[in-house]
Amino acid sequence: MVLGVDVGGTFTDAVLVYDGRIATAKAPTTPHDQSEGVMAAVAAVLERAGRRAEAIDTFAHGMTVATNALLEGNLARAALIATEGFTDVVALGRQNRAHLYRLCAARPAPLVPDERRFGAAERTGPNGVLASLTGIEPLVRRVADSEPEAVAVVLLHSYRHPAHELELGRALSEALPGIHVSLSHEVVGTFREYERAATTEVDAALSPLLRSYLRRLAERAGEAGIPRPAIMQSNGGLIDSDAAARHPSWTVLSGPAGGAAGAAFVARAAGAPDALCFDMGGTSCDVCVVDQGAVQEQSAGEIDGRPLGLPMLAVHTVGAGGGSIGWRDPGGALRVGPHSAGADPGPACYGRGGTEPTVTDANLLLGYLAPDSPLAGGVSLDLDAAERTIHGLADELELEPLACAEGIVRVANAEMVRALRVVTVERGIDPRRYALLAFGGAGPLHAAAIASELGIDRIMCPRASGVLAALGLGVSQRRRDVQRSVLLSGERLNSDAITAAVEELAGRAREALGEPQAHIDAVYELRYRGQAFELPIAAGPSPAPEELRRRFEAAHQERYGYRDPEQQLELVTIRVSATVPGADVELSAADDGQPPRTRREATLHGERLGLEVLRGAPPPGTEIVGPMVIELPESTLLVPPGWSGAVDATGTIQLGAG
Amino acid sequence: MIDPIDLQVLTGALRAICEEMGAVLIRSAHSANIKERRDASTALFDARGQMVMQAEHIPVHLGAMPAAVEAILAEDHAPGRSWVLNDPFRGGTHLPDITVITPIFTGGDLLAFAANRAHHADVGGPTPGSMPADSRTLADEGVVISPRVLDERAIAGLSEQMRQLQQRRADLRAQLAANRAAALRVEELVGRAGRGTVEQAFDEVLDYAERRTRACLLELEDGARCGRDLLEAREGDLEIVLRATVAGDRLTLDFTGTASQHEGNLNCPLAVTRSACYFAVRVLTDPDIPPSAGAYRPVEVIAPEGCLLNARPPAAVVGGNVETSSRVADVILSAFGRALGQGTMNNVVIGSEEVVYYETIGGGQGACPEAEGPSGVHVAMSNTLNTPVEALELEFPLRVIEYALRRGTGGAGRYRGGDGVVRELEATAPLSFSLLTERRRHAPPGAAGGEPGARGRNLLDGRELDPKASGALKPGQRLRIETPGGGGYGAP
Repeated sequence: MVLGVDVGGTFTDAVLVYDGRIATAKAPTTPHDQSEGVMAAVAAVLERAGRRAEAIDTFAHGMTVATNALLEGNLARAALIATEGFTDVVALGRQNRAHLYRLCAARPAPLVPDERRFGAAERTGPNGVLASLTGIEPLVRRVADSEPEAVAVVLLHSYRHPAHELELGRALSEALPGIHVSLSHEVVGTFREYERAATTEVDAALSPLLRSYLRRLAERAGEAGIPRPAIMQSNGGLIDSDAAARHPSWTVLSGPAGGAAGAAFVARAAGAPDALCFDMGGTSCDVCVVDQGAVQEQSAGEIDGRPLGLPMLAVHTVGAGGGSIGWRDPGGALRVGPHSAGADPGPACYGRGGTEPTVTDANLLLGYLAPDSPLAGGVSLDLDAAERTIHGLADELELEPLACAEGIVRVANAEMVRALRVVTVERGIDPRRYALLAFGGAGPLHAAAIASELGIDRIMCPRASGVLAALGLGVSQRRRDVQRSVLLSGERLNSDAITAAVEELAGRAREALGEPQAHIDAVYELRYRGQAFELPIAAGPSPAPEELRRRFEAAHQERYGYRDPEQQLELVTIRVSATVPGADVELSAADDGQPPRTRREATLHGERLGLEVLRGAPPPGTEIVGPMVIELPESTLLVPPGWSGAVDATGTIQLGAG
Repeated sequence: MIDPIDLQVLTGALRAICEEMGAVLIRSAHSANIKERRDASTALFDARGQMVMQAEHIPVHLGAMPAAVEAILAEDHAPGRSWVLNDPFRGGTHLPDITVITPIFTGGDLLAFAANRAHHADVGGPTPGSMPADSRTLADEGVVISPRVLDERAIAGLSEQMRQLQQRRADLRAQLAANRAAALRVEELVGRAGRGTVEQAFDEVLDYAERRTRACLLELEDGARCGRDLLEAREGDLEIVLRATVAGDRLTLDFTGTASQHEGNLNCPLAVTRSACYFAVRVLTDPDIPPSAGAYRPVEVIAPEGCLLNARPPAAVVGGNVETSSRVADVILSAFGRALGQGTMNNVVIGSEEVVYYETIGGGQGACPEAEGPSGVHVAMSNTLNTPVEALELEFPLRVIEYALRRGTGGAGRYRGGDGVVRELEATAPLSFSLLTERRRHAPPGAAGGEPGARGRNLLDGRELDPKASGALKPGQRLRIETPGGGGYGAP
């Protein structure tokens, strides 16, 4: 029996998978200590499934503790040791300003202030030590005097020559027992000092908080008789909670990774391994690409303007959701967002004091949502409030209210299409060969329109649309990534050198996972010498250089339209993943009979039309023909005219255009 | 007539096309200038040569792209026939900025142009990097490309006249690929929305940007404001004079009285002066306005021919683009009561016949009426990324000795100006260097009682150099650049 628990902004979702079936439950998220909400959701799902805690084999957890701490600045008192002359490495960043024309817009402040940055007397160059490390003792004393709760160590060229970082790490551990020390070559391992330093700072500054949270959660789990949690990392794989506590930077984007993993699982189960996933909630929209059943990854990302130089699932977030507010700008254009009514007060139609027209208000006025059909969490909708607020904006824009409502939806869709273009066409991917997998409370309402805009003719909507992240956690693999910049070219780029580096990294990854037999995958980040961007090429653990070149050139040709056979090839970074497969779950949707059907009027492309409405999840085999609205337990699917399909055996609604 | 909804949707689509062009260009180019520093811009123009939309990577290209399209507008256009140019007096800015323009046809008729501009690491000037500190005519600065067709033969021919020909070739091909991507997307847009709607959208976006700029200008107080500032030429200071007049929803920027063009390279073609003016207008209005030619219709720029800001051939211009442009923006911002930032890009070129390292260095931003000025950033016409120390040391025979904030250099005030930066480099092989810097003699002023930031300094083994300097570096010699702080705002 597999348990997955995902902490969201409003609700904590639990999914229990047993005998190929799933039970779900929600509990309010408890921001002061997420573990309370987690245990409440666990108790609720066990009760609903009628199972005992002792029967749970694995417990997987996706959390937002690290993300929230970073966004809210709720961080430990950290110190930074850097090579002397370079202690401002994070403050300087890449020297670009935050906004081109708002000249005083500030970049996020470094996590370590001036007074806790210390210079180490040493220098290492790309080819080795230039000046040995001296003055360790007084340095460590000065660091200790600053009373840090954690220390980050970032020395130049340590990705290749880590001796001085290791030496400082040992000295700090002796002098400051119990204080977390993050060494940049261990945390990140790749070249480019700013990104490595900023990530190492994040790792250090999060560590006390994350450690105490995970300890508390493990204790509560123990008391409840369920296994210790495995934690979702930003890379979409699980790691045991002790390892997660030691390496906070691994789980910074734990939350979105769970959703992406769930989407990939559903896409595979539905027989559509190539899918664009689109998760739209109240305030934001997460998109990602699933290729051959796996979520696309990226070698680095960022959070709130801070770089994170670690491999992670490529989830792109934009601030467009059901709560996004429509407005008229001074040039007379209709705009939607980035301001959002959020969950509180929420859209005007929530009747909690919201007064501005939101996307959800528009969907209600257009008849896609209904006042007599509450949303997830039991929110019922006030049509009059939606009408009033949209009338106001329509008057400003000199539009009919229904045209204005359709406009709000179209402009919001355009924003989400742009997000999907960022993860596809801007990376050289043709979206038309993918299915669109829509989930989250609001995703399935917008799926068909967005698919049409991108030229996609197939959409999917999973039955567990509202708790997909928790499901994803339950079925995820365990995984550990280790990476290092090796910068090999010319004669130094040979099979022996590659194999040796991969073996060493594989050993470290398996050790971190506690699985000496874990499966090993390797990714080689390659470029032509002189380029500053690399292309990731997946290959076995000991590829011949000719093989790497051939595959790199094919990828370069595909991505950029040319290859350059005269240029030298450079292997910049090797990334090794150790994985152990997740629970083997086969979904089969229960047949609870046909949901009740009713009809209502809606507006689509300026025309009134009668819609058939299914109130509940239709069982496998049900034929779906638009125009139709399907009110799933936690989300609503709009099927416009011209779209039709059926419910598959896993309960996923699959639709095609035309 | 397009409704407010279509307007917003199509504006987004056009912006997405420009952004995708930028993504293709930056990812597929070879030189660090384009890839790491993102010294490149992309834009879409209508068939009449009006700039409809631009992806904003670097402000100095903002208003200078239209001149490039204008320069080839009357040529004989055919599908797939692209154009290339860098001549500052025929559509360019300075020689390292090479512009590639591709007409976009649908159904046999010209609909639009895709254009992009990228700063090449070399264009065959006498010094590596083609950013000479002491050029006196355009011919001293590299290969001048008058507008001509860009095909494989032209790519080969042009690259051969420049250093690192493989890189030049790859960069030019990347520029072509970016325009091809844009053409494809515009064709798709026409397929979805229809040619008529797309043409209408072009007009509407221009008008919309114009309306919004006018609305912002209306909020500024009517009347004339004056400003003056100095540029630090080898032969002495050169004065820039401005009279800025707001009259209702219009703005006139009149530089009459500015010094004549000079024998050095601080001269600007008018296109560069316009760019700097549009940058300042964007800062003073609403940056949310789409960057299209419409936004600049209510702005008139006057610079008498033959003056520093509207130079005639064969003036040298390499410093005009990178340095004078910053001062033009400064003089406008100060006329409107702003404290000034470092006011220079601190151009550093170090190289040999084999390698060229070009970098601009951030400094202090001027404080704003309600915020401190950020430290260690690019402040005006540039916003390029630095070259990481580790990347630099891997590729060039250089060692970085120090890279740090230059503490205490921001001007005091109710809000402090930002601090400058120290970047010190040591040669590990014989190299030449060339520095094009400003605000070494005159510090960036504060405003409303705020104090000025500290002036910058250039040091060779501890000996102070001129703002514009060049020479040789022996192994072990150190070049130290200390960039200026920003001015403070309000009495301390």
